[in-house]
Amino acid sequence: MSVIELAANGVVYSSIIVLASIGLSLIYSIAGFANFAHGDTMTVGAYATLVAFGLIGGVGFTILGVPLGFFAAVGVGIAAAAVVAVVTQRMVYDALDVGSIGLLITSIGIAFIYRALIQMGFGADTVRYDIPSLRPIESLQQYGVLITAHDLATVLSAALLVTGLHVLLQHTDLGRKMRAMADNPDLARVSGIRTYRVKLWSWVIGAGLAGAGGAFLGLFNQLSPRMGFNLLLVVFAAVILGGIGSVYGAVLGGFLIGMIVEMTPLLSRVGVPIGIEYAEAVAFLIMVAILLVRPTGIAGDTAEGGGV
Amino acid sequence: MSDASAGDEAGVEPTDAERTGSDPVLSLSNVDSGYGEVQVLDDLSMDLNAGEIVCLVGPNGAGKSTVLKTAFGMLTPWEGTVEYHGRDIGGMAPEDIVREGIGYVPQTDNVFGSLTIEENLRMGGVARNDDLDEVIGRLYDRFPIIDEKRGAKARTLSGGQRQVLAFARALVMEPDVLLIDEPSAGLAPNTADDVFEDVQAVNDMDTAILMVEQNVTKGLGISDWGYVLDQGTVRFDGTPDTLLNDEEVSQLYLGG
Repeated sequence: MSVIELAANGVVYSSIIVLASIGLSLIYSIAGFANFAHGDTMTVGAYATLVAFGLIGGVGFTILGVPLGFFAAVGVGIAAAAVVAVVTQRMVYDALDVGSIGLLITSIGIAFIYRALIQMGFGADTVRYDIPSLRPIESLQQYGVLITAHDLATVLSAALLVTGLHVLLQHTDLGRKMRAMADNPDLARVSGIRTYRVKLWSWVIGAGLAGAGGAFLGLFNQLSPRMGFNLLLVVFAAVILGGIGSVYGAVLGGFLIGMIVEMTPLLSRVGVPIGIEYAEAVAFLIMVAILLVRPTGIAGDTAEGGGV
Repeated sequence: MSDASAGDEAGVEPTDAERTGSDPVLSLSNVDSGYGEVQVLDDLSMDLNAGEIVCLVGPNGAGKSTVLKTAFGMLTPWEGTVEYHGRDIGGMAPEDIVREGIGYVPQTDNVFGSLTIEENLRMGGVARNDDLDEVIGRLYDRFPIIDEKRGAKARTLSGGQRQVLAFARALVMEPDVLLIDEPSAGLAPNTADDVFEDVQAVNDMDTAILMVEQNVTKGLGISDWGYVLDQGTVRFDGTPDTLLNDEEVSQLYLGG
């Protein structure tokens, strides 16, 4: 496989990692704990998309080989992930007075519950969306790039969502409040920000993006109850690499980790005998190396004043 | 109001005799308060009248900052009342107290470092429904030092500029009462002087100020009334001159 082909695959895989990383980082910075149920929130989004797509159907048109109805179903998947996360926040995390480590451990239990419920409903086997697989786009093949229209739809959708989040964070009142809360929660309250509401919105946005990531991960591969959990360590690596708590760092970290994983085959090309089965291990090694030089992550604040 | 002759009196037992105004906007009465199980304030009572600057002084651990935190709802009084314009606000949440008309400037971490100056001021006005741009415009006029840097991140400001931004953020709500925790902490002497001038400027905008300050001479120097705290309660109060000239107060609490 050529470098450019690996890079193209990397971009597709990174898009999914980025969607998941943003939510994990956002929830970390505003809700104050590392949410181990985030991967399984992706799975919730994927299966909700599956169900919704089954009900909605294709609805005629296709965009980049993806039926219009599927995009509507992804919207349902996003909403479902957001609702599940908000309900969990209100019923479980909010009701517990256990500190950030206690919440982290609680979220591991929540992850098991999400996964078990999905497995009870849909079985442990892999399933696929009812969308025919596509051959790689021919006009790109001459450049050695083997990606399908579905891959392109995934990348463009992720770019659209990330751009939307950027606009929200920088140019809306809610976005400014979210950044203020991530920066200094005490001062946010002192300034009169209703922090509880902002926190709920962070769950909606963070889990919604994870749901979208899960839906597209299902399109990229297939669906299984462990699909999100299997990705969780990579997503954590991306968030830590970018600088935990920073949304823009998470975008960068997600992109880098996704690229590193997909470009690992290049190593054997230059004489380093490491197979693709070690792709994630290579990504973690590079993460450790970068953190040794820059312990706060790439976009992490070295001094005071964090922020998304 | 200061009155030099008062220092000749034998004692400085708590008395409001020479205090101007008897119109407290903020009153703490017999307040006990603290953190978790640890009691800090013990039967503390004090008043802030309209238009005044009142300074709280006393040794480390006397409970000065705890008074501000209790008045601002960051701590709930265990006993006693916190009244604002005669209404009990003890235990109300800070985000609600802001809407009542009280502002608070913490000692440290008092700006949003990753937000711009403009965004910091907007955050100060989240509870305002109207005239936000107009009020922010007036604050820029009043404090040109931040006007020049509207688009800069607050973390790039110097200590003095940061303190000015912290005041301005709290003033966007146009509070009746501003609680300020150690405005001169960590600042160079010249910068501290500027900050005290700014405190007076804020007071001139019809805002009563309750301030905690380590620099006793300068803090009391701009104040109308002072309270000396020790072990969570008021030991003395009086005009700044009375307190500064009283030997017992000086020796025990004011470092000489």
